[in-house]
Amino acid sequence: MSGPLVIGPDDPGVAELAHALGGTRAVVPVVRAVPDDPGWRWSEPLEVWRSEVAGGDPAPAVVVAGPAPAVAPHPLAELTADEWAQRAETALAVWVAALGAGKARTADGGALVAVLDRPAPLDSGGWAAESGVADAVEALVRSLARSEGPRGVRVNAVSTPLRVTAPEVVDPAPPLRSFPGRLDREVAGAVRLLLAEDAAGVTGTVVHADCGRSWR
Amino acid sequence: MSASDKVVLVSGASGGVGRGIAIACGRAGWTVWIAARREAQAGQVAEEVDEAGGRGHIVRCDAGDEASVRDAVATVVAEDGRLDGVVHNATSGLSPRPCDLADVALADVADHVGVSVRGTYLLAAASHAHLVVTGGSFVVLTSEAGFEGKAKLPVYAAVKGAQRGMARALAREWGPEGVRVNCVAPLAATPAMEEAFERDPAMAARVLGRNPLGRLGDAADDVGPVVRFLLSDDARYVNGMTVMADGASCPIT
Repeated sequence: MSGPLVIGPDDPGVAELAHALGGTRAVVPVVRAVPDDPGWRWSEPLEVWRSEVAGGDPAPAVVVAGPAPAVAPHPLAELTADEWAQRAETALAVWVAALGAGKARTADGGALVAVLDRPAPLDSGGWAAESGVADAVEALVRSLARSEGPRGVRVNAVSTPLRVTAPEVVDPAPPLRSFPGRLDREVAGAVRLLLAEDAAGVTGTVVHADCGRSWR
Repeated sequence: MSASDKVVLVSGASGGVGRGIAIACGRAGWTVWIAARREAQAGQVAEEVDEAGGRGHIVRCDAGDEASVRDAVATVVAEDGRLDGVVHNATSGLSPRPCDLADVALADVADHVGVSVRGTYLLAAASHAHLVVTGGSFVVLTSEAGFEGKAKLPVYAAVKGAQRGMARALAREWGPEGVRVNCVAPLAATPAMEEAFERDPAMAARVLGRNPLGRLGDAADDVGPVVRFLLSDDARYVNGMTVMADGASCPIT
């Protein structure tokens, strides 16, 4: 069986994940939210791209990944309008377009897995925008699990705190010393699990590949 | 002003759940600022707050607009000298309209995100310093959709989920300063719910069929008091939670 179709931005993390999964890539175009553009005209390239990608051949296995999150935590109330727009609104637009394309490309009876950056609740201070994006993606995944289930498509998610964890975490330490995990090991492994026929009865679920940090 | 008096701002309070929250707070004798775009309807709710025993005021507020939110919060503090609680209830007018992720217009997504998600950020940024002074409370109205998703309302579900995630993190950011942050996920009879039922005739049976209480909540009597509790000193140790006020409709808590 060939690897999955991996939909995501041109990002080293997505490339690493695609390589680990042996997948082929569909690259989401780069966009940048503009704070004083409430109608999101800046997102138009995403709509064009989504339409083009959605018309491709159906794939039995699709993986969707989002844009790389901000590199450091920052209190929500102290974010500038531009920082907010980049951390939250750019990410949300990319996710909606990428999951929309992924939904369209997933063949009947196939499986779609979203890979999202989720700050562990204990360590989420300073990551409010990223926590919001993560919960939004989980809700999108469950929405797709409901809408696509009747055609036999399973939709799940894998979350990782890898890129949204500050060097110092709140005590107690995570159960596994391998925290926060690696994209090519813990994350790719969970994705394979959810794409496999062994997970034929699993849909609408989020697997936290976070070495025991969340237990949500 | 007695110790039990509160000055609270409720966004999107010109109707629906927001109106119910405003009335419930009015019943406690609180000062309630109806923050909304529809000033005529907001004025009617302010009168209902007065009749309930509180003091109702209106302030124009477009929740997705930075200047508007900043001005609304500044007006409340200038008039009353304090701000004890903020409730972000406003949602996009597109909330009950079905869409498909494969072709939803991103301009529509922008409207959802602007009111619900950016509105949460803007209200948090504008009110933070004032809530620190009073040891106040910030409450965000989310939805069961944010837990479990919705087949025909995926974008609405997404923004409601986003609010939960933001509130969970914000509770950790603001807790050390004595400010609590929580969410409420209501299920109530509102104009938006009526519109959703009209658009999807099977929805009423779906929504009520799984609810063990067998009815939609009342905004003022069932949902408003839950929000009032979270704003009150009785909830002084409740933080980072999403409280379901849905009659056990949602299978996820």
